[in-house]
Amino acid sequence: MKKRKKIELDFEIDFLTNSIRNTVSGDSFRTEVLRLAKSDLIQITKKNGWNFNWKTELDDNSKEVYKLTIVDNPNIVQGLISFTINADHVYMDLLENAPFNLGRDKLYEGVAGNLVAYACKISFQQGFSGYVSFTAKTRLIEHYQRTLNAMTFGGQLMIINTVAANILIDKYYKNG
Amino acid sequence: MGYIKEPDGVDFVIKGKPLTDKQKQAISEFIKADKERLAKLKTRTTKSTNRQRKVWQ
Repeated sequence: MKKRKKIELDFEIDFLTNSIRNTVSGDSFRTEVLRLAKSDLIQITKKNGWNFNWKTELDDNSKEVYKLTIVDNPNIVQGLISFTINADHVYMDLLENAPFNLGRDKLYEGVAGNLVAYACKISFQQGFSGYVSFTAKTRLIEHYQRTLNAMTFGGQLMIINTVAANILIDKYYKNG
Repeated sequence: MGYIKEPDGVDFVIKGKPLTDKQKQAISEFIKADKERLAKLKTRTTKSTNRQRKVWQ
């Protein structure tokens, strides 16, 4: 019997359509979500304005770390997410917009929602019916309830359920 | 195709500590209960739709 050659992919790509918008021109851009590579860490430093230590996240084997980039512009990271695959849901550990996508003068809108939608998609792929949990900053709880339809769950813990996950995925992955 | 616009002056940032076993357990129970709730809701909606159809036939 012939042995089948095992092909393993070490990257994943998910195309999104028109899912982030340039706040200056109003144009929307197609984006992709890719695994963060060690080589990306050169630009993702505190010196460059990033708040979290993404090297630690990348070194932690229990977590998966992804970057959001614009199609055909893979070297500019628009935002990052790290999450843990639990027994029945995905837990988002960290999520951060690129420094130029923060504040009133942010360059692109929709980066964070895009990454949350990706976590929901992973949850469905894992057979978790879209359930995603995360710890929210107190002042952001209301915003997450309103914009992500997330539910509070004791203290700062929040959960996105199947219905909310489907809404997010419809928004970002309708054609994907 | 849409996108979620962050409210003016608000940046969505998540910085969570790893979940404790107790939290994981609590979330699992919540998910189980929520799935049951959604399933009941679906059944009720389906029954209601069927009943409506009968009236119109």
